[in-house]
Formats: sequence, C-alpha cells, structure tokens
Amino acid sequence: MKRIAVRNLRLCTKDCLCLYVCPNGATDTENSIIDTGKCIGCGVCADACPSGAISMVPVEYPPQQKKEDEVVAAMNRVVESKAREEKIARTIAENTDKPGLRKLMKAIERSARLSAEDVIREAGFMLPQSGNSMNLLSNLVENSPGKGFPSDAASKLLSSLKCNDGGFIGASTGKRKYRCLLCQAVFEVEEGEEPVCPMCGAKGKDLEIIG
Amino acid sequence: MRYICQVCGYVYDEEAEGVLFSDLPQSWTCPMCKAPLSMFAPVETEEKATIQEEPVSFDGDMQKLSAGALAALFSNLARGSEKQYMEKEAGLFRKIADYFTLVSANENPDSSELLSISNGNIEKGYPDAKAVAAKHGDRGALRACTWGEKVERIVKAVVEKYLSEGEDFLADTEVWVCSICGFVYVGNEPPAICPVCKVPDWKFERIV
Ligand code: SF4
Ligand code: SF4
Repeated sequence: MKRIAVRNLRLCTKDCLCLYVCPNGATDTENSIIDTGKCIGCGVCADACPSGAISMVPVEYPPQQKKEDEVVAAMNRVVESKAREEKIARTIAENTDKPGLRKLMKAIERSARLSAEDVIREAGFMLPQSGNSMNLLSNLVENSPGKGFPSDAASKLLSSLKCNDGGFIGASTGKRKYRCLLCQAVFEVEEGEEPVCPMCGAKGKDLEIIG
Repeated sequence: MRYICQVCGYVYDEEAEGVLFSDLPQSWTCPMCKAPLSMFAPVETEEKATIQEEPVSFDGDMQKLSAGALAALFSNLARGSEKQYMEKEAGLFRKIADYFTLVSANENPDSSELLSISNGNIEKGYPDAKAVAAKHGDRGALRACTWGEKVERIVKAVVEKYLSEGEDFLADTEVWVCSICGFVYVGNEPPAICPVCKVPDWKFERIV
C-alpha cells in the first residue's frame, strides 16, 4: 500500500536525523512540513526519528466494512436524538444569563455533537472519500437543501476527493467497475484493459464485473 | 454486595470498604468519574441486564437525515479529513457542517425536555441500537453505542445535579469535555484518563 511520511510538528524538535536520511530531500523544508510531492514513502525517516514524530500514512484507504441497513437505521435514530439534545442545550446556553448553566449547556452541546459524530461514522460515514460521503455531497449539490447552502464547498470537495471504494456514481466514464472476490476491493479499469485487483493482485475468475 | 458504576465501571465493594452502599451519603460520588450514587447498580442485576433482548426491527428504508444530524455527519467528515492531514477538505466539510448547524430545527430551550431525551436514550435508544449492532456482529457500531450510552448517563447525572443544586454546583469549578467520546466532567482539573474511552487528560477540552 502506498504511504507517505507526515511529521507531527508538536513532537518534532526540527534538528536531527530525518534531515540526513531522506534519499529525496523531502524532509528538509522551510515550513517543516514534509514535501509530499518529493516523498517516495520509503519510511527511513520515520525509523530514524528519535522523537517518534513521523508517521507513515496511507495514501489510499481500503473500502470500509459494509454496513447492514438495519445497523444504519439504528445508528441514524441515535444520531437524530443526539442532534435534538445538542440543539436544546445550545438554545438554553444562548438564552440564559446564569454563567454556570451556560457553561454546562455548552458542555452538553459539545458532548452531544461528539457522540453523534462517533455514531454516524458507524453508519457508513467513516471516510470522507467513501462512495457514501461523495454520493451525499453530489446529491446536495444537485438538490440544494436551501438558501445559503455552501454548494461551492461541496463541489470543491467532489473534485478534490478521490473515491476509495468505487461507490461514487459520478459522471459516466468509459470505465468498467469490478469487485475482487478475494479481498472485496472495488476498482475501475479502462474499457478493454485487463483487470487486476489493485489491492491483492487477483485476476480472471476471482473478479466480478459490477458496472 | 458489589455495586458497579454504569458510567466508568468502577466497582464499589461493600466488604472491602466496610461501609454498606445504602449507608453512603447522598452526596457521595464515584471516585473515578464523579457519577452520583444513582448511577450505580448492584452487580448481579448488571449481569442480568447484559443478556441480549431480541432487537427491534427497523425497516431497511433509510429515513432522510435531519439538518441537525447532517451537521454531525459533516463535522465528522471534517475530523476524518484532519486525521488524514487534508486541511483544505476539513475546512470545506466544516463549512457545510456549520450551515446545517445553523438551519437545524428549533427546539424548546427546556432542561426537562433535555432530560427526557437523555432518559429515552439510556432506556431504549442505546440498548436497542446496541442489540442491532450485536446481532450483526458490528463491533464498531457496538463500541460507539457503548461509549455513547455511558456518556449519556453522565449527561443525565450532571443535568439532574444542576436542577437540584442550581448555580452552586458550578461555582468556582471548571467543566471539561473529552474531545474523543464526549464524556463530561466537573472539576478543577480533568481526570488523568477519560473514564469512558481511556484517552489521556490533554484530550479534554475546557469549556469557556
Ligand atoms: S519516507 Fe523516505 S522519501 Fe519520504 S520523507 Fe521519509 S525518508 Fe524521505
Ligand atoms: S528526526 Fe524527528 S524530531 Fe528530528 S527533525 Fe526529523 S522529524 Fe523532527
């Protein structure tokens, strides 16, 4: 799996080994951020760093475990309820002049949002670049939910995110979609090209055409 | 007899403590997470309660998410982008989340309504969701709902405490929220580790 190095600026002491070991000069940058264009993902810097400041992060993510409809529905119910809680707490915080109550309600507003985020992630919205997330964005661009919706933000996301699981039904392309029966990866190849699973290398009858 | 804190799992053992649970003063709180007496349950009944009931069936048809739920969905994707060091995407997702936060449906600013939602989540919302997750062997969903349920108990506890003690409860003290699971803690310093999700104290946000 292709990886690149990312430096945690909170841990980095900016003065040591990674600068010497990088074969491509990707670590020695004026803004301290490792140059993603130069990094070839060898991982030498991460091994050399005495501060544990460099992690090798994947460039592409595997498709997530598929969520059962019943699980999605159950998670959505919890999220709806937490959303109401958040809104009540926020409204109380905005309307009260009691400092203690305001603080408590702001804490509950924050808490409810965090719980809702955690649960909606388990309803199939783990990755920003998943087909689920991208289809939702494209739906919102096509059917605006109302005045003031930042359609430009959604469009920018649609062009900068690269779908990781083949689930995004974007504009039609001259491509065919396959699912690997061995590792479940979903991927596309140009029509006429021989399909090979990018995750595990499977070919032929281990692949199933799905689109 | 042993009693277990349903927020953090701390066990109060009457024999070891030498004081009957029923003799503890009403003001006693869990030494780990400060949950009140009422959050403790006798250990046997706790074991009985973990026997899975038949999950309620939801129809597979996904209902449309409300603006408030979409706000959480998109702020979650903003956090997901941050984790992948995609700052630009995180900002764009946050913009969409802010829009949905702003247009989310009005609710009555009423703390008893808040309590009744919280009670509903503890008694039915989370247990039902956990049963569905367990039925499908979905560990992630089960984990999220287990944390959520514990956090819900502490939310209920602090709201009830405020309703009975008023501003005195929060005079000269800070309120903290665990930025990972949403655990709420009242005290001058955050706990060394979060009693629900076990992250270290620097993951706590001080509410101002
Ligand atoms: S992973 Fe290799 S190429 Fe990339 S920054 Fe580190 S040493 Fe340089
Ligand atoms: S080796 Fe680690 S601590 Fe030293 S400059 Fe590189 S990233 Fe920073």
